[in-house]
Amino acid sequence: MKTDDALHQELLSAWEETYKKGQLTLWIFLSLKEGPKYVSGLQESIERFSKGTIHAEEQSLYRTLRKFYHLKMVDFSAGKGHKGPDRKYYHLTPLGASLLQSFVERNIQLFFEEPLQELLLN
Amino acid sequence: MKIISRNLLLFALLLFIYTVLFRFGLGSLLSAEKWAWVIVIAVVYGAMIFVTAWMTGKRDGINNFLFDAGFRWNLTTFIVWGAASEAWFLLGFQSAHETIRVVHITLLIWSGFLILHFILFLILRKRTIKGVHKTNIFE
Repeated sequence: MKTDDALHQELLSAWEETYKKGQLTLWIFLSLKEGPKYVSGLQESIERFSKGTIHAEEQSLYRTLRKFYHLKMVDFSAGKGHKGPDRKYYHLTPLGASLLQSFVERNIQLFFEEPLQELLLN
Repeated sequence: MKIISRNLLLFALLLFIYTVLFRFGLGSLLSAEKWAWVIVIAVVYGAMIFVTAWMTGKRDGINNFLFDAGFRWNLTTFIVWGAASEAWFLLGFQSAHETIRVVHITLLIWSGFLILHFILFLILRKRTIKGVHKTNIFE
């Protein structure tokens, strides 16, 4: 039989696994709101913002950005690479920015209001 | 996002090769009157098409987010199989036991299913935004 600690850890991991699904878009948008980024830079800022709880594979980011570009939520411009060829620097389009704002207003801001804020912090 | 993607072209090429090999095997077995082997070769041919379509379709889905409900693969199979089979008869490679009528009847029935598949695709397309399925946009 599992100890309470082990059960707690297992349940927490399972919850987080489910919770993280669907989170990548929010982290990408927040990172791009900070400023234009190339894929590796985006990967770094997602890890930094999420304090290492979200790790996005580079291939997964490329795929997602291509899709967002197709849907006109992000755009890119060519910028200098460190030593190699030019990189694509992605940024939010006005559509992407307004989408992020609407999403945050409807789904995130409520966590900063009473009574949720008190419940979350105590 | 491409309608004619590299994976679709690879599938079409492999399907063409399978069909030529199948037609050759089928003609030889029919001429030798080995009826049981005809069923075996047909099942193997069908299974190979299924596995190849499944693998190339899955690979295509990783990088190509265009939603088509599998219609492009169905249409490609129809075109390649139909063209290869028609050419086989036009070039006179068929055995004495084969008639082009069977190919035509198959294509006729298949085209009915193809239309149904296209209608299904049109219905399911309502769940897409700019060709991307809504459940596949945000990860």
